[in-house]
Amino acid sequence: MTSIPYTTDVRPDTGLTNPKLGIWLFLASEVMLFGSLFSAYALLRSGAPSWPDQSAIVSVPLATLNTVILISSSVTMVLAWAALTAKRVDRYRIFMGLTLLLGAAFLVVKAIEYSDKLALGLVPATNNFLGLYFTLTGLHALHVVGGLVVNAYLLGPGARMWKSEPERFTNRVEVAGIYWHFVDVVWIFLFPVLYLL
Amino acid sequence: MTHVRGYIAVFGALLALTLVTVGVSYLQLPVASTVALGLSIAAIKATLVVLFFMHLKGERPMIFWPLALTVFLFAALFAFVFWTEADHIVGPPL
Repeated sequence: MTSIPYTTDVRPDTGLTNPKLGIWLFLASEVMLFGSLFSAYALLRSGAPSWPDQSAIVSVPLATLNTVILISSSVTMVLAWAALTAKRVDRYRIFMGLTLLLGAAFLVVKAIEYSDKLALGLVPATNNFLGLYFTLTGLHALHVVGGLVVNAYLLGPGARMWKSEPERFTNRVEVAGIYWHFVDVVWIFLFPVLYLL
Repeated sequence: MTHVRGYIAVFGALLALTLVTVGVSYLQLPVASTVALGLSIAAIKATLVVLFFMHLKGERPMIFWPLALTVFLFAALFAFVFWTEADHIVGPPL
């Protein structure tokens, strides 16, 4: 079986490993995906004759809590990678486990937010703001779910690679972390745009 | 160990900036000021995450070319919006 090239060695022409370049190219496409929705928000809001008081519709305390949760999960994710570079797989398991718990907590808070809206009859069709709110936060939540699946694999069956190819496994965790931090960056902009402005 | 302390310092800065973001929203400033402040703080937070957590600080030049193109296209998306809506945002032309 042919092994995938340049997973640990730096490729001479790019100066990078293939996974590192690959994840950044993927994230470039993700920037445009979320950018299209953010620009749709700017277009609809600036063109609207009136706009609802967003902070009266959404829950600022719950969103603030979710911001703290997601930032914390970013820190635990990077500490999981740092633990592997220090060859402390025991610490890796703790920090990756915390990242999973915090990611799940984010989704629970988001589910509470959604159920509060739906109980009041506030659905995407209610107005343009709620349409954008559900689309943007829903797409973001799907990205959180995707990150959780990858992180759970890296904590569970995927961690077997640590014994056979520790450097490659460390790179995998770094690349998964770069994705997870991107999800955090998207939320950093969603928080003021949808909840505070 | 040193970079672990750096990560914790960035974490503290991100939490502090989150509190500032929420605090600014309660100041009842004009909408334009609230938008400018809110997005500026978000940009600072995002820069911290990208530079330190995503390790862009000290990364190879090859990474920056596709990112520069992305920034250009992202800016173009918003340029078209502001171009289209300029009369609503800055008032009708004289």
